[in-house]
Amino acid sequence: MSFLLIGDHSQSTLDPAGHGAAQIADLFHWMLGGGVLIWLIVVGLAVYSVVVPGGHRPRLTKTLVIGGGAVFPTLVLTSLLCYALAMLPELHRPPPQASLTIDVSGVRWWWRVAYRTGENQRVETANEIRLPVDQPVEFKLTSEDVIHSFWIPALGGKVDMIPGRETRLKLHPNRVGTFRGVCAEYCGTAHAQMAFDVLVMPQADFEQWLRGQQRDVSEPSGPAATAGRALFHRKGCGACHTIRGTDAGGRVGPDLTHFGSRLSLGAAIKPNDADNLRRWISRTHDVKPGVQMPAFEMLNRDELDSIVAYLEQLN
Amino acid sequence: MAMTETSNHNEINKTDHVTSIWWIVAAPAVWAVHFLASYLTAAIFCAKFADSDGSAGEVQLAVMAYTVVAIVIIAGVGWSGRRRHRDGHDRSPHDGATTADLRRMIGLSTFLLSLLSAVATVFTALVFYFVETCH
Amino acid sequence: MDASSDAPGDDRLDVKAKRLLDAWRTPTGWRYWSAVNNSEVGLWYVVASFTFFLFGGILALLMRIQLALPDNDFLTADQYNQVFTMHGSVMMFLFAVPILEAISILLLPEMVGARDLPFPRLSAYGFWCFVIGGVFVCGSIFFGVAPEGGWFMYPPMTTEYQTGVGVDIWLLGLSFIEVASIAAAVELIVGVMKCRPPGMQLNLIPLYAWYILVVAVMILFAFPPLIAGDLLMELQRSLDWPFFDASRGGDPLLWQHLFWIFGHPEVYIVFLPSIALIAMIVPTFARTPMVGYGWIVLAAVGTGFLSFGLWVHHMFTTGLPAISIGIFSAASQAVAIPTGIQLFCFIATLLIGRVTKSVCLLFTLGGLATFIIGGLTGVMVAVAPFDYQAHDTYFIVGHLHYVLIGGTIFPIVAGVYYYYPAVTGKQLSEKLGRYAFWLMLVGFNVSFFPMHLSGLLGMPRRVYTYPAELGLGTLNLISTVGAFVLAIGFVVFLFDVLRSKKNQPLVARNLWNAGTLEWLGEVPDKPWGVRSIPIVESRYPLWDQDHFVEDVDAGRFYLPDAEEGLRETLVTSVVDAKPIQCLRVPGPTFLTHFAAIFTGGVFIFSTYHWYVAAAISGVLAFITILVWLWTGTAPIPEKQDKDVGRGLTLPIYVSGSKAVGWWAMFITMLGDMTAFISLIFGYFFYWTAHDDFPPNGSSGPGWIWPSVAMLTILLAYSATLAARRWNRQDHAARFYGAIVCGVVLSIVGGLALLYGPLAHQMDPTAHVYPAIVWVLAIWTALHVVLGVVMHLYCAARRAAGRMTARCDADIVNVTLYWHFLLLTTAITCLVIAGFPMVAK
Repeated sequence: MSFLLIGDHSQSTLDPAGHGAAQIADLFHWMLGGGVLIWLIVVGLAVYSVVVPGGHRPRLTKTLVIGGGAVFPTLVLTSLLCYALAMLPELHRPPPQASLTIDVSGVRWWWRVAYRTGENQRVETANEIRLPVDQPVEFKLTSEDVIHSFWIPALGGKVDMIPGRETRLKLHPNRVGTFRGVCAEYCGTAHAQMAFDVLVMPQADFEQWLRGQQRDVSEPSGPAATAGRALFHRKGCGACHTIRGTDAGGRVGPDLTHFGSRLSLGAAIKPNDADNLRRWISRTHDVKPGVQMPAFEMLNRDELDSIVAYLEQLN
Repeated sequence: MAMTETSNHNEINKTDHVTSIWWIVAAPAVWAVHFLASYLTAAIFCAKFADSDGSAGEVQLAVMAYTVVAIVIIAGVGWSGRRRHRDGHDRSPHDGATTADLRRMIGLSTFLLSLLSAVATVFTALVFYFVETCH
Repeated sequence: MDASSDAPGDDRLDVKAKRLLDAWRTPTGWRYWSAVNNSEVGLWYVVASFTFFLFGGILALLMRIQLALPDNDFLTADQYNQVFTMHGSVMMFLFAVPILEAISILLLPEMVGARDLPFPRLSAYGFWCFVIGGVFVCGSIFFGVAPEGGWFMYPPMTTEYQTGVGVDIWLLGLSFIEVASIAAAVELIVGVMKCRPPGMQLNLIPLYAWYILVVAVMILFAFPPLIAGDLLMELQRSLDWPFFDASRGGDPLLWQHLFWIFGHPEVYIVFLPSIALIAMIVPTFARTPMVGYGWIVLAAVGTGFLSFGLWVHHMFTTGLPAISIGIFSAASQAVAIPTGIQLFCFIATLLIGRVTKSVCLLFTLGGLATFIIGGLTGVMVAVAPFDYQAHDTYFIVGHLHYVLIGGTIFPIVAGVYYYYPAVTGKQLSEKLGRYAFWLMLVGFNVSFFPMHLSGLLGMPRRVYTYPAELGLGTLNLISTVGAFVLAIGFVVFLFDVLRSKKNQPLVARNLWNAGTLEWLGEVPDKPWGVRSIPIVESRYPLWDQDHFVEDVDAGRFYLPDAEEGLRETLVTSVVDAKPIQCLRVPGPTFLTHFAAIFTGGVFIFSTYHWYVAAAISGVLAFITILVWLWTGTAPIPEKQDKDVGRGLTLPIYVSGSKAVGWWAMFITMLGDMTAFISLIFGYFFYWTAHDDFPPNGSSGPGWIWPSVAMLTILLAYSATLAARRWNRQDHAARFYGAIVCGVVLSIVGGLALLYGPLAHQMDPTAHVYPAIVWVLAIWTALHVVLGVVMHLYCAARRAAGRMTARCDADIVNVTLYWHFLLLTTAITCLVIAGFPMVAK
């Protein structure tokens, strides 16, 4: 089957990079093997009964119904149930007290992410989650509008984000790499385009990154970026987006403070580069139908370039 | 004709007859009650009364009690079904147009359903053996 | 299709047979559509369901085209979302459930040697409701206003974020159809329990009937929770009562519970009847009785029960505690046991018998092989940890189609090949059948097998596109190619069914040499079903009983004649099928059409908030149904008893638990209670899920007015009992007196129910607590109103001489209704008045 598996596997449950996902992948492989075996036996028997017709002994068939139809499945299912139930407590047990806690809330159609960095201190980002390797992490999941579902296939199972509730998910990445998370619960028009990047990093790199995220932005360098900043404010972008350290403090859309450092844009639907960003700003709805952000078609090429320059250097 | 034959064959009394269909569903009904009781106990306890450590010891005890009661009732129903099924010498497919065969067939279904219900009830109880908290 | 008046041989019939034929003759010309007999309505139902199936299939192909390539733009996001919503809804509500009802209406009476089902007009009404509702719902997609909330319609997306008319079309259009489904369920339950031929005691009924009995009971308990959910959601959408709005105490998860309490049994409601078809086909082609009859009954009943303990496995990822998840995971594993038992019974039967090969068997086996894969993946996803990964991915899409296409569509196609000759007198082509089979089997597997893999590679469900980088393109392209091969298979099958068979000879009677009663039908078939209603002494009477067909044809059994020119069938006792009544069933009418159109009007006009039109339509529907009941139900016969043949004399009019009408009322009220209990569940769900329910400082309805309501309804109930008694004793004055008391007390009780929340200024839009109290009060009050109507109806019936001391079915059935009404009122009052005192 491997020839079919071209692609980057960043969203695969079969290429696990976390404890939960690895356990579940093992479970799947066992069930797959057992399932194939059972299917071959049962269908083989059915085909045999048709191909070799004729009066098999009733006593034998009675044993078949009782043994094959009742006793054997009961035994198999009981063992499977015990195996699965034994997995549950660990998957559901909250991580140790001091573990990294990240608040993620689903918004149509992007992700608000906040790292708890201390008592009442949070640092906000969006559509990208970075995690230290080999550390358990707890996600506190909420929704700001409809039901979404938070899922990083490579790390473990999914948990829904439900308005009015806070759900939790514990993950424990064990391999450095870049993965992709998605919304798994149908949430309306752009459900298909609600993803996020997940970067599992060595502990030190992670801490350095987190410190960087806590900083406000510095002054833009270069005329284009400076003009871009002015334009950003003049066009009212700040009504929806926050850029810490500036007047932009909107909460409707994603926090853009360190936008330039992110791998992708539009909730992980396009690589974060100047061309895609230009297209995003000017023809938003072509890139992502249904998105709440208005398209800024009225910007001329220079204006667009300067805004792009400004955003791209928000590291 | 079968009609006259059946009325002569008065092997079971009237009340037994009328209630016999209820015997078939008795055991699964016990499973259903046990299932709902276990689920509601767990759900309400975890939502309303669980400690901060999420221990569900009380629920485990309660479900253990439910399970004992349920299994006893199911065993009773199953035994009664088996008795009806084994009544008389005939052990063939119970497809005769006689009251005796009707009774045996209902007995067999009652018995088998109580086995299934017992397994399903034990399955529910197993959960409380493996999962000890409200997390 | 059916014997028209010029069918050959009519003139050779003797005088009795001619009378019988006249009584059952299908209307001709435009009046054909007024037919209510099961063979016509059943056939229309089958054709209509298949038409919706084709529509749903085309929608599926549109989706596959869109997903063939990554980043495709064949459909826009909104179009795709409408298409997948409609695909799911159409397949589930307009095909899967109706087709089973259709096949059962068509075949069940034949299988149990009945002339018709006990309430032919109810079937017809259900059918016309289904057609009107189905066309309404499907039509919406051509105007681009189709629902796009998924077939599961999760709020708050569908309550607050999709403001178009689509969601209302879904809610009201499909509620309308659900009502029709429940009507069919009532019909089928009473059909199996009371309309069997003499001697067909419970250990002899065809396995199909067992399955249908189980399925119909499941419909009765599964659909009402969804109707309750629909009601709550529609109240939120049109009146802003915040049942699912978390900011005002509501909870979106309540909908998921109500939806899946319906939704999971639904899968088995769809699957079991198809297995039932297999259970009829396998013995015929194995030339031997089914092995393990008792085991199959165990499987059917066991599955029916266990399937109600699975609903939360659709909610494993909603953040529930592991303990709850474990319970439902355990039940989901347990349900695999009865399923396995059935399969082994089928295989054992094939092993014992001498198998004759045919296309039917091919589809049966292909279906089983496919279904087993779906069953095995079903066990996998029942394992909660695996479901955390697989849930809402294409793995599930693969799984559910293996179950539904393998477990339902293939057996239904097998059933069409099997029963086509019985219905039309012509046989389908074995050669085309084999082509269709291989195309469908290969196409299906090529299409759906890769989905398991694409799901595990991380492809979520309900996405209108996916990025190329994920490497899902190849798998999706393969799926699309497979889908078209599958579609070609269906086209071949359809061609075979529809091609003109004018030049093809009629088949022999009982073409497959089957053993069950539905094969008694002559070729071409006569509208009377069976010439005389036989005495059955075997599970396979055509195989086992000597001279059986000759005796039936010669009219040597029951009801070989129709002296009064009326349609008659036998009613027998539930367990041992002793004849207890000669039931007269109504003939053709257009009343059912009007009733369906006006009922449809209520739902359709409400969709567009044309409430005046809806109200007028409602009044018209109400009047039509009253006229229908008045003229068509429980008429007092010209004589008490009738000789039905063989020296047996049976009453024509019975009341109480012997009567089919009593059973219909009982069964309907069980469904009604289920809907009510779902609302009560909602009340306590809010209490469990929220810390402050009832919220601090909110005033409930108090205890005074609910107590007044309780007391007056109790008195009204007593008045109803007294009315029944005095009617039986022929005390006319006391009877009318009791009815008047009942009406007055009911009105006081109903008003008191509503006055409780009103007097305490409970504002249903402010918080979910007043809203749910109001819903319970209104629900109960509406039932009280209905109780009053029934009182008045009984009084009018007696005044008009349509009900007498002996012929008292109306008041007896009304009393039965009042038993339930009393229970409903008691629960409502206890909950709304009593619970706040306990909870504080």
